[in-house]
Formats: sequence, structure tokens, C-alpha cells
Amino acid sequence: MEYAIECLDLHKSFGVHKIHKGIDLKIVKGAITYIIGPSGTGKSVLLKQLCGLMPPTKGKVIVNGQDITVMKPEELVQMRKKFGILFQNAALFDSMNVYENVAFPLVEHTKLPKSKIDKIVQEKLRLVGLRNIEDKMPSELSGGMRKRVGLARAIALEPDIMLYDEPTTGLDPIMCDVVDNLINDTQKELGITSIVISHDIESTLKIADYIAMLYDGKVVLYGTSEDFKTTDNPYVKQFFSASKEGPIKIM
Amino acid sequence: MERVLSFFGRPLVSFVEVAGQMALLFYSTIKLMFKKPFRTKLLLKQIEFIGANSLSVIILTGSFTGMVFAFQSYIGFHKFGADQLVGTVVALAMARELGPVLSAIMVAARAGSAITAEIGTMKVTEQVDALNAMAVDPVHYLFVPRILAGLIVMPMLNAITVLCGVVGGYLVSIKVLGINKTLYLDYMYTYIEFDDFANGMMKSLVFGGIVTLVGCYKGFMTRGGAEGVGRATTESVVMACVLILIFDYILTAFMF
Repeated sequence: MEYAIECLDLHKSFGVHKIHKGIDLKIVKGAITYIIGPSGTGKSVLLKQLCGLMPPTKGKVIVNGQDITVMKPEELVQMRKKFGILFQNAALFDSMNVYENVAFPLVEHTKLPKSKIDKIVQEKLRLVGLRNIEDKMPSELSGGMRKRVGLARAIALEPDIMLYDEPTTGLDPIMCDVVDNLINDTQKELGITSIVISHDIESTLKIADYIAMLYDGKVVLYGTSEDFKTTDNPYVKQFFSASKEGPIKIM
Repeated sequence: MERVLSFFGRPLVSFVEVAGQMALLFYSTIKLMFKKPFRTKLLLKQIEFIGANSLSVIILTGSFTGMVFAFQSYIGFHKFGADQLVGTVVALAMARELGPVLSAIMVAARAGSAITAEIGTMKVTEQVDALNAMAVDPVHYLFVPRILAGLIVMPMLNAITVLCGVVGGYLVSIKVLGINKTLYLDYMYTYIEFDDFANGMMKSLVFGGIVTLVGCYKGFMTRGGAEGVGRATTESVVMACVLILIFDYILTAFMF
């Protein structure tokens, strides 16, 4: 099996506070991997380390065969173009309208003429199911629309790897389903590797090819949806049954 | 003993840390100013925001300071019968000291705070991360246009402040205090040198850098949501004003 990203013995601490205590995780190329776990286990921090936004304290992150923890800043910048990231609150630039947001990476990194950029922006917006909103400002959009614009911007440069930071948090159930389908469709249509951070169990089991559960700085279980449905792992069982009783301490 | 050391040591360490971070950021901003792409549109937008939009505040500040200064110095000079020197003193003070310092403090309050609030909000809503994620250097995209605009615009604003101050002082002296017009202007022309003005322009160039650098730095270091943005904005104005006064002394002593 081919891997897009490999984490080897990843440690991360902030001051004396240890977030990751040796994470080993391999992300299969061209598949959707969900990273789940209770709040505060450092899922977002892990995501930022995977794309080089944050350096690990110890350990390696290997992307397409290259160790990104030893890269020079300029190499890291080049490498980051392979990634598309959808942030938790979409992180749209609020001084720009929807069109300028989606066109931003194209204007920055390509020399395409305006007509070509127009076409790509329209195509990406269509892909996420939005039409005729190019002139709207981010503050005029609903949460679901913002996330979809964020996704359109993230896939504008056709990345190899898509990272989603809690894409369904804060959305209504219907919009959750729309976003889930979007993640699925984006992956199928573009054939990219997707990594999704979530604590939405339903969507996880529905669309994940592989799941990794994080607790106390380590991966407690890695496997397919089937593995997770049938496991005896007490951490997973407690998390899935949303119970207070079990090995996961409530902070 | 340990407590005493940490009482004095901790602020010292954090001072050195902040100074170092700011110096490094300033250094990389200067380096990145010469790196393509040149974001002319963003630069013009900042020049409009920091410069053009500050005009009304600057004109008011300059004229009223000049007017007040004419009144106050008249009290002293009148006692010696040297009324005609009021113009010289007003122009000297405006050009060397009051113009650069007051215009910089007004810009710190108006534009520096807004720069911090904007970049700070971008930081806490992950927009700065998004720039990084899209392989765009936030220092190049956010710092360079703002600091460059500060360096370009601040001396111009200083020139306007000085001009308004001199005109304000003239109007008060001649129209209100009834000082002899010919003598007033004659003394002013004789004693004011171009160096006095150039001195102030140098200062305001440095202040322009300080205000925008502090604004960007404080925004960039913002943490902790809306409250954090509020705190950073306040700190930015205070820090910029204090630095302006400290650097004013250093520059004055240096160019004396």
C-alpha cells in the first residue's frame, strides 16, 4: 500500500504540557482517513504538524517520501502547495469577497490570465454547489456556505492532499450531510488523499476508509470502519457510546 | 534573593525577547520588501488608509498646536519685549519636535490600532494560518505593505503638521496678539534653517516605521479571541507612543 503521509514517533509539547507522546500513523494514498478523539487531544495540532504549519518537538513527518521536519523554510513553502486545508471556521479573508477568496491561491501561485481564473473559480464553486455568490462578502454568508467557499478555495490549486479540520462542527444536520457528501465527492472526483478531523461519529463511520482514534497523545486504534464497529477497545466503545463511564477521563 | 532576581529578571527577559522578535520581524520585512511579487494595490490601499484618511486629524492637531504654542510663548517673550521671536520659536518647535511626535502619536492612535485589530482578528480566526497554508508568507503579505506605507506616508504627514502649525501660529500672532507682521516673518526666515526641518523629517521616518511595525507585531502575536484582540490593540497604542517618545530622545541626542 502506498502512503501519502507517515508520522513516525511524533512528539509535541507546549512548555511542560505534553500533547503528543509518540504518534505513529500512516495515511493511505487516495483514501479518506478520519482522525477522531475527544476534545483537547491535539487533533488540530496534529493536522498542523502534518502540513508543516507547526514543527513537532520530536519525530518525523514524511510527505510523499520526504521528511518535512528537516526542510528549509523555502522548501516547506513549496511543499505546502500540495496541501489544501479547510479550517474549522473556514478562515475566509473577510476583507475580500467570495470570488477574490477562491481566486487568491491562483493569483498568488499561477500566472494564469484573468479569464482562465474566472473559469476555475466558477468551476470550483459549482463543485461545492454554490452559484452566483461571487460578489458576496464572507460576513454575508451562512456557516455552511462559508465552509463550502473555504473548500472551493482549498481545492483551487488541485492539491494532492486535503485536510479538513472539523468540517461539520457547528452545522445543522442537513448541512452536515451536504458537507459529508462534499468530502466524499471531492475525494472521488479529484482522487486526492483526504484527512478529516472530526468527533462526529455518524459521518465518520459513513464515509471513512480508515479511522485513527487519538487519546492521551497516542493512537489507541487504527483500522477500517468495520474494525471500529466490531472492536472491543474500551476507549473506542466509550467514545462511540458517548458514555461517561470508561477509561477516557473527562476534563 | 531568588524572588528579587525573578522580580527584576522576568521583565528584563521578556523585554529582551520582545525587542529581539521585533528586530527580527523588521529585518525580514526589509528583506522581503525587495522580493517579488510587489503588491502595489495593497500598498496603495495602506497609503490611503494610513495617510489620506489621517489628513483631517493631522490638520487639526497641527493648527491647534501651533495656535496654542503662539499664545503660550507670547507670555514669556512679551516680558522681554521680544514679541517678534514668537514665530521663530513656534516654527522651530513644530519642525524639530512637535510636528514629528504629535503626528506620529495621532497616527498610532488612528492607524496603528486599526492595523493591530485587523491582523489580530486575522490571527485568531486562523486567516494568518490560511495564508501560511496557501504558501503565502504573512510577513510579505501583511507586514510589507503596511510598514512601507508607514515609511512613505509619515514624513508627508509631518510636513503637513508643521505647515499647519506655522500657519496657525502666524494667524494667532498677527491677528490676535497683534505682533508686527514684517518683523515676525523676518526673524522666522533668518533663524529657521533647512536642517531644522530635515531633522524632523528624519524623526518622522523612524516614527512611521515604529508605528506600523508595532501595529503589525502586536497583531501578529495576538492570542485569545475577541478579548485578546482588544488587549493587543490597547497594548499596541501604548507601546507605539512610548517607543516614539524614547526614540525621540535618542534621535534628538544623536542629531544634536
